[in-house]
Amino acid sequence: MSSVPASIPPDLYSRFEQALRAGEADSAESLARQMLDIGIDPNTLVQGALVPILTEVGQQFQDFHIYLPELMMAGDAASRVTALLEQLTLQAGQAPLARGTVVIGQVEGDIHDIGRSIVRTLLASHAFRVVDLGHDVPASAFLEAAQKERADIVGLSALMTTTLPAQRRTLRLFEEVGQRQRYKIIIGGGAASQSWADEIHADGYAADAAAAVELCKQLIA
Amino acid sequence: MRSNWFPTLVERSENGPYMKESDYDLALARKVVELVRKHGLRFDPQVIVPSDDELADRLYQAGLELFVELGVYNQSTERRILFTRQEVEEAVACAPGAVVLGAGRQACVMRHREVESRQPCIVHSGPTGTPCSERYHPLILLSCAREPLVDCLGAGSVSTFQGRPVIPGSPLELLASRQAAVDARQALRLAGRPGMHINDVAVPLTCAGKLAAIDPEDGLRPTDALLVAQLPELKTNYDQLSRAAFLQSIGMHVVDLMTPLVGGMGGGAEGTAVVTVASHVLGVICYDSAYHDMGHMSLRWSHNTDRLGLWIYACVGQALARNTPLVTTNAIYTRNGLGTPAVLWEVAASAIACTVSGVHQMGVGATGGSQTDHTSGLEARFNAEVAHASLPLSREQANRLVLECLQRYEANLEQPDPGRPFSQIYDLDSVEPGQEWLDCYRRVREELIGLGLDMDGGWRAARRMLSQFTA
Repeated sequence: MSSVPASIPPDLYSRFEQALRAGEADSAESLARQMLDIGIDPNTLVQGALVPILTEVGQQFQDFHIYLPELMMAGDAASRVTALLEQLTLQAGQAPLARGTVVIGQVEGDIHDIGRSIVRTLLASHAFRVVDLGHDVPASAFLEAAQKERADIVGLSALMTTTLPAQRRTLRLFEEVGQRQRYKIIIGGGAASQSWADEIHADGYAADAAAAVELCKQLIA
Repeated sequence: MRSNWFPTLVERSENGPYMKESDYDLALARKVVELVRKHGLRFDPQVIVPSDDELADRLYQAGLELFVELGVYNQSTERRILFTRQEVEEAVACAPGAVVLGAGRQACVMRHREVESRQPCIVHSGPTGTPCSERYHPLILLSCAREPLVDCLGAGSVSTFQGRPVIPGSPLELLASRQAAVDARQALRLAGRPGMHINDVAVPLTCAGKLAAIDPEDGLRPTDALLVAQLPELKTNYDQLSRAAFLQSIGMHVVDLMTPLVGGMGGGAEGTAVVTVASHVLGVICYDSAYHDMGHMSLRWSHNTDRLGLWIYACVGQALARNTPLVTTNAIYTRNGLGTPAVLWEVAASAIACTVSGVHQMGVGATGGSQTDHTSGLEARFNAEVAHASLPLSREQANRLVLECLQRYEANLEQPDPGRPFSQIYDLDSVEPGQEWLDCYRRVREELIGLGLDMDGGWRAARRMLSQFTA
């Protein structure tokens, strides 16, 4: 069990953790409501419970102690709780809980999904708002989504070496229309590397999902 | 029963039950857990090559059930293509149990192999899973084509054309695809083996790019093959189905490429094995495949030479060998780089586990296919020698040897030896392995002989047997 913040009753925390790990979204949401009812601040719930629990789940996945279905189900349950908290925060006129907005997608020509899904799950569980554009995304769609969603970070994934040029092309479009400085643009995927990121002047490269979370945290800080 | 499923596949793709892709993924994950439990499938890290026929049969039934329950997901229509159990069983029973690959003097017959069969493996080589530089690609192909124990060649992947990046869907993709096919044919001619089977050109990502490799004069011929891919897990789309339909219509071989992800939606070793069996069925019924390329890989490190990956090879191989007429190969993806002892130990473990489990050989994607130019003919020679030397082994003996191999590389899977690319370990004029790479190969070879593998007599016996099977 992750360390419990003093304001959350240990029993409630433990049940909440169990529900998240089992991917029981209904139960996780109901326990979150119970915590809010007894006066726990939404921010404490996110930073003191949701993020540490999901960080541990993410680490277990990285170590192959659990597998993708468990990670996805925990992520889905966490998303339900995050959505609830966002809604309540908005209603109360408070500042949003999300650390920032990340638009991610597989660049044009790349049809792979799984790696990006893991990144989406881990980012969401670390309180980022994630807009996933899916696979085979044209450069213009990244630009449009970044503007529409007021993104802080744009993540371009390429699994195949033949789709690396599309990462460069997407970055170049942001430059050409004078939008490059408004966003941090990062790259990842099996075919990408730090040297490629340097060559195309990306703001960062992440080798895996956990590294992507750390990179986004650094860039937002 | 039918020989051409494509009209049915399109009809069912258009009218099958709609499902969101994420819901299909989740349904698959849940069904796999249920089937693993129902059929009592259990991975034992100490028994990488099980000698348990019942386990193999239960695994096959689980895979069949998964396929019939879920069907195939068509991403183009977001609908499931469903089949009855009878349709599936009949299609599998009608699948080819032997295919003639290549032409003329280099033609070979790749047959269904049984568990602990003495029938030699067909050995495929080439940089299929590894990117190559334009400069060294022709030499890498030649180094593989001239290895006498290599039976088939993959043209591999090059990411530039005349120094410019190959952009999918652009004219350069077509030209690069054709160039790779020409390079492969030229390598075979230079090696004096012009009729050898070419199993794929991996440059293009689009259907048009793939088909551009076909050119009976200088590129691929109907006696060659192209890979048609599945998307993990149990998914296809109209682009892939169109490739298969075209290849079927010109009588060219289709290779069913599957990459179930260990640690992915199938879960661990047992679940991924179930998905892998079902993926073979997909290849039969949707792609009319001549043979199957069993390329499951770890979601963590894109390789399949850890205990989980090897166990899946052994169990799925045995399940298919005992219950179907299918012809399947491995697709060896290692963690370590070229020119290292560790990469050879990874190849040995895979070759041994697969040979006794009814699986042919296709190697080697060193560094999990992540580094450029990490392919050469020497590790293909080694792969063939180990496979042929493993023919007399029982599964129990194979298991002991695989555990020995694992001892020699398992500790460095986390921090693999990056090795060196082709240009640093081969003589670029003679296209022969350099002394250092040869010494490394000889040391590992000697050690395997010390462990009881007949590396000298094995391939000689296999060549004699192969001529009987081919005749």
